[in-house]
Amino acid sequence: MTAVIASDDHVPPEIVSSVFYSASVSDSMALLVAETSGRTQRVTWANEGAVQLLGYGLADLSAMPVEQLFPTLGGGELKLMLRRERSAQRTLQVRTASGALVEVGVLTTPSPGGHRWTVLLRATANEHERALRATADAHERRFSALTERSPVPTLLSEQGMRLAHVNDAFCALVGRGAEQMLGTGWIDTIHPDDLDAVIEHVSAALEGGEVEVQARLIRNDGVVRTTIVRFAHLFTPGVGAGFVGTIEDITERLAFEAQLAHQANHDPLTGLPNRTLLARYVAERFRPGSGGLACLFLDLDNFKVVNDSLGHTSGDELLVEVADRLRATVRPADLVARFGGDEFVVVCEQVGEDDAVALAERITEALSRPLRLGGVDVRPHASVGVTVQTSEHVAPEELIRDCDIAMYQAKAGGKGRITVLDQEARAQARDKLRLVTELRDAIDNRDLELLYQPIFDTVTRTPVAVESLARWEHPQRGAISPTVFVPLAEESGLIGGLGMFVLDETCRQLAEWDRLAGSSAPPRANVNVSALQLDGNLPDRVRDALERHRLSPARISIEITESALMKDPASAQQVLHELREVGVELAIDDFGTGYSSLAYLRHLPVQCLKVDRSFVAELADGHGEIASAVIALARNLNLCTVAEGVESPEQVEELSRLGATYLQGFSLAEPMTGGHAAAWFAVHGGTAS
Amino acid sequence: MTVTPFPDLAPAPVFDIETILAGIDTMAVQKPVAAQLVSVANAEETSAKELARILASDVALAGRVMKLANSAYFGMRGRVTSLQFAVTVVGFTTVRTMATVALTELDDESRLPENFWDLTTHLALAASSLAPRFGERPQDALCLGLLAQLGAALLFHDDPEGYAAIEAAEPTFAGRRAAETRRYGINSLRLTAVALEQWGFPAPMVVPLKHVDDYRAPEGALLRSSFEIAARLTTEGYERVPIVRVSCGQLREDDVVPVLDVVRSDAAELRRAMLGD
Repeated sequence: MTAVIASDDHVPPEIVSSVFYSASVSDSMALLVAETSGRTQRVTWANEGAVQLLGYGLADLSAMPVEQLFPTLGGGELKLMLRRERSAQRTLQVRTASGALVEVGVLTTPSPGGHRWTVLLRATANEHERALRATADAHERRFSALTERSPVPTLLSEQGMRLAHVNDAFCALVGRGAEQMLGTGWIDTIHPDDLDAVIEHVSAALEGGEVEVQARLIRNDGVVRTTIVRFAHLFTPGVGAGFVGTIEDITERLAFEAQLAHQANHDPLTGLPNRTLLARYVAERFRPGSGGLACLFLDLDNFKVVNDSLGHTSGDELLVEVADRLRATVRPADLVARFGGDEFVVVCEQVGEDDAVALAERITEALSRPLRLGGVDVRPHASVGVTVQTSEHVAPEELIRDCDIAMYQAKAGGKGRITVLDQEARAQARDKLRLVTELRDAIDNRDLELLYQPIFDTVTRTPVAVESLARWEHPQRGAISPTVFVPLAEESGLIGGLGMFVLDETCRQLAEWDRLAGSSAPPRANVNVSALQLDGNLPDRVRDALERHRLSPARISIEITESALMKDPASAQQVLHELREVGVELAIDDFGTGYSSLAYLRHLPVQCLKVDRSFVAELADGHGEIASAVIALARNLNLCTVAEGVESPEQVEELSRLGATYLQGFSLAEPMTGGHAAAWFAVHGGTAS
Repeated sequence: MTVTPFPDLAPAPVFDIETILAGIDTMAVQKPVAAQLVSVANAEETSAKELARILASDVALAGRVMKLANSAYFGMRGRVTSLQFAVTVVGFTTVRTMATVALTELDDESRLPENFWDLTTHLALAASSLAPRFGERPQDALCLGLLAQLGAALLFHDDPEGYAAIEAAEPTFAGRRAAETRRYGINSLRLTAVALEQWGFPAPMVVPLKHVDDYRAPEGALLRSSFEIAARLTTEGYERVPIVRVSCGQLREDDVVPVLDVVRSDAAELRRAMLGD
């Protein structure tokens, strides 16, 4: 091939004639030769293909002016087709013999000298192009028909951010017509704050990526919709890159998610943030070592009274009203949370102690405005604990805990108070926490000791029983009084364990005494039970302890304070009856200090009343009225009595005279260890028999 | 050729349209990068990378492409920082169009008819805005608008005084084209078509140029309507032709209003990008 071209001028005549022959008879290409004749160019030769394409006979074609074949060429334009120096190509309409105009591609090549041209007509190639274009158009129509009907909002970019096409779903989404959005018009629908991100993602898509971005679209009516826009690269050969964008409206989904998140973090009744959100809020703002955060812990006083007397609906109303008042009273940036039940927490930033207290005062004042609930005027009061962050707070939860402590202090000091947790109080609170931990360990390890104080028959002056008394010898702090550790155990949920320890240890001791001393062992032991132990489980536990140590129920007397009985009289009565069925004796401790009604007392299955030591003490001052009355009452009800705290022979005499059944006190016998008691009874018990 | 001379016009020079086209070949030698872009950009296998590589050797032209890619017209707000991406954003046909502008020295305003670029940018933007209504690609329409007056520029290069006289005598485009045919044997739009076809520009850019003056031909409706809008915006005291007529019934006057706004607001920036000033 190269060789032929290189020797162009020297093609052998036989090849020239061979090529000419194939060209002249070819019907797949149309060839004409035109020559200048005077001022006109005329056809001088045509091949078979040209005859077929144009429909003229050879004779008609010969000498036909070229411009007659191409009627759409204007006056000067023929020159541009038949150029002297170079070939030219155009798409032109050619007139056929029938008069019809057929579009053909025309390629003209001048011969040297510039007076003769070969004219190649390519009708088929043009048909092919047309077919290609028709196919491409059909593709495009199908594509646009598809997207047009699609419910998915769809964009089609032509170049850069310019849109060539938007579908009905997108128009409906943004409430605008397609006309307004083609080109760059759609950019106006993107929220200005999201535009940069959108352009960035469009750039990525134009460069071949598949990306998605969350963007807000602004509807024509100003409503903002949040969407995910997914962009895919679109390449058109010979044209360049664009993108297809599909839009998913996630406004409702986000709203639903936000609602779920809100529900997880807010109290449904008051709409206030809940404890979870409070903890997170404080944690997010807490910087150890700095100040500025303040927490107020509020507990409504007497909320239980409202709930019990006016019903839960009124209780809920009260909580909602309190929430509203709190929100209206605090500064806009402060957080109000419902901590639980009737407890609320307010968190403020950038405030000192004075500001926090001032806020607490404003809150208590706002709360105390009367409110009508169930037809009754109620003035809500709250006890408020205030804590301001100090360098000693190392963790966010310590702030909440401290204001909780401060609130309890406020409550303990009388209701409706505001207390700031100071250094000393915080130290005390921490000390108390430590003590609770140590008490728990002491109970678990049975490090508490029981002492036993003998109880005497008034008439015979012989010991008939002992009372078990728990003692705690702390390794560092020394002896800790039951008046300290029993309430501590009650507050911190340890009382159950403590009570069971005392019961079990007493039973064990009784069994041991039986084994060591036989008949001279103490006949009975009195065990104290706290109000918090007085529930349906107590009888079973007592029975279990007795069985464990193989003791007769008569060996145990359970002492219950009068005030414990009065907390829930109906339930207490039930438990007492069950205890009697177990077979143990029952005594009411500290009788006369509570406010039990005598009618109620009559229905309790108790055998004994213990006269409180304060009434016994009054004997020394010549005031024996109450002790006398209690003893007389017991006698009339067929109950026996134990006088506690007997300190002197005079009191012994007086109590004997009044008719007390039993006596107990330091002057008679001090509390003693189990081992000591066995020996003591061996000596003193003998006189009884 | 029968030429009816204007009364106040000097006799027509011996005018050979072929020398005009031959002149372009000379220009191509002087501007090889632009010439290469014009010849490769429409090939199907061309890539943005390849175009950017060629474009990079013509700093002035590359700068214009970058400027255009970052113009308001493409909405990319300055995000286009690489030449290859600029080529992707503006599209191959546009790169080719800009190369053609450089090649034919349409960027030298001293050698152009008066208000050439003012009219051209308005025409191009009008064509781009209206294209979807005529089922055409806006990008092709923009390029068509940008190059439509190439023929006029070529005629002016060759015959500045004669062409200026035609412009002065004929306020309407149609009248001017008739005068061009009388003087040069071909009107400027057909000359543009000849040139674009010669360089292998696609049919959608060539066909409309041939049908502008036939009010019944829908192929010419988009370009005709664009000329009407450009004239309304750039010609003082212009006597409107009803848009429904020039558009073969495709447009109403109401449709024109938003297009006028868009064209008016983007024209100056497009002009800066095309001329690189």
